[in-house]
Amino acid sequence: MGWLIAGLAIWALGWALNTYLAAGPKTRVTRLAVPVIFGVTVILIWECVVRGLEIAPVLLPPPSMIATRFAASTHILWQDFVQTAIKGALTGYILGCGAAFLTAIAVDRFPFLQRGLLPVGNFVAALPIIGMAPILVMWFGFDWQSKAAVVVVMVFFPMLVNTVQGLQDTDAMQRDLMRTYAAGYWKTLLKLRLPAAMPFIFNGLKIATTLALIGAIVAEFFGSPIQGMGFRISTSVGQLAMDLVWAEIVVAALAGSGFYGAVALAEKAMTFWHPSQRGRT
Amino acid sequence: MNKFTTTLGLATAALWGTVAQAADDVTLQLKWVTQAQFAGYYVAQDQGFYEEEGLNVTIKPGGPDIAPAQVIAGGGADVVLDWMPSALASREKGLPLVNIAQPFKSSGMMLTCRKDAGIESPEDFRGKTLGVWFFGNEYPFLSWMSQLGIPTEGGEDGVTVLKQGFNVDPILQGQAACVSTMTYNEYWQIIDAGLTPEDLVVFKYEDQGVATLEDGMYVLEDNLNDPAFVDKMTRFVRASMKGWKWAEENPDDAAMIVLDNDATGAQTEEHQKRMMGEIAKLTAGSNGALDPADFQRTVDSLLSGGSDPVITADPGAAAWTHAITDAALN
Repeated sequence: MGWLIAGLAIWALGWALNTYLAAGPKTRVTRLAVPVIFGVTVILIWECVVRGLEIAPVLLPPPSMIATRFAASTHILWQDFVQTAIKGALTGYILGCGAAFLTAIAVDRFPFLQRGLLPVGNFVAALPIIGMAPILVMWFGFDWQSKAAVVVVMVFFPMLVNTVQGLQDTDAMQRDLMRTYAAGYWKTLLKLRLPAAMPFIFNGLKIATTLALIGAIVAEFFGSPIQGMGFRISTSVGQLAMDLVWAEIVVAALAGSGFYGAVALAEKAMTFWHPSQRGRT
Repeated sequence: MNKFTTTLGLATAALWGTVAQAADDVTLQLKWVTQAQFAGYYVAQDQGFYEEEGLNVTIKPGGPDIAPAQVIAGGGADVVLDWMPSALASREKGLPLVNIAQPFKSSGMMLTCRKDAGIESPEDFRGKTLGVWFFGNEYPFLSWMSQLGIPTEGGEDGVTVLKQGFNVDPILQGQAACVSTMTYNEYWQIIDAGLTPEDLVVFKYEDQGVATLEDGMYVLEDNLNDPAFVDKMTRFVRASMKGWKWAEENPDDAAMIVLDNDATGAQTEEHQKRMMGEIAKLTAGSNGALDPADFQRTVDSLLSGGSDPVITADPGAAAWTHAITDAALN
């Protein structure tokens, strides 16, 4: 009972604090503090409710237990992170996005590809990952290569579609201006159309970050070596080690946010001129 | 009027009481999908053995993503079928499962290898890739490897472990030298896929001395303090064992009963009849009561896991009870 009351008190406190901060002047500090207070409150309430209602740890472990497990298993978590996020997801991301970018240029150069390839692309993009993953595991083996292949399939088409769209984001006046400068196709591409396509390209890259991590984790459910985040999540459930499952989820969340954040930062640095980025501090 | 209502109320209550007594609800969570591995329960249902004991039994099929221990922890079942290693590991994790009956006397688990991968004895495993089931089923394998002194981290001296999906593709495609099989199921999938018994070497866990008890009935320890629950389980075990013995004697009919209950329609008659024949070999010799010597052998094998034992302490006699089987069978 004491825990439940504590939970209620924390809820009220967090709410009051955030209301106070939101009403005050907006500064850098408050903008950062509000979501942090919200997150911390949620975690504390979770802890209090789980303890107060005596929920079995095999159903929902309290955050303190997850944190303890996280600290005690950093070795395993790091090894799984390297296997899934670095080897599987990142390799697949670079290969998939790189290939999609080059294909987009080819599609842009040859209109017949644009008419023939893009519909096929949309079709392939709609294939469910759980159908593709077992087949790719058969083709590329059980190790990270097959996971990277799943990621390539998943990120290729969102990236392609976005890049193709971006390359068309110049109007006739701008292209005419380039022609009056006697710029050829490649020069126009490099100096005008690619920079103009940047917001779209980064949009594709950002979508692909989350897809890549999901793809690599889910692909591990269909046969894997005995490491990796997907492997650990799927097998630890069977061992009732829910604290380890949650620790992996924390790692996945951190890795996903970090990856997305890194791409968003790169976008900010490279498309500072674009209206969507202007005026931000 | 008032009296009439009271009488009616009492009558209803009495009727309700008999109805409730006539059909105690029991939910059983299977370890795997509907197949002849669980013939005893389906037979008991089909032949009315549960009804005779005044039970209304719901049989919930399992699957690759269902952990029976988690189902019972969440209140989704009264009794679950599980393998002892996974049940004891759950017990250590704070879910007090107790074995109340053990219809399976022998273990059907094997490691099936291709001869052309160069495997004749367990020493030949070194440097090879082996397919192992996880989700609580990896414990017998890990304790076997640690008894052999073979590391499972890969490399020249060790074995590379592959998380095997619930099929036999890795051995068919040559991605693994050996895969996990059950005598009654996956072994025949390999045979059906075109390999002959002469192409294969099988290592039965039983022959290697690391056999663990499969498919026992487990309930939560707290429930055993409730006499009504104990009574319900006594009747459940009695009817289930009657079903098992019926299935042993009439394997073909039992297989057909299982097929009737397979809602997915994925099972074939030939496969189920063959499976029932193999299952009968495993249940033979058990009257349902757990043999404490078998329990101790399983515990010893799990404790010998080297640096990473499956369980860290002997759970002792608290992890099983003869109370139910004694009452049910005598």
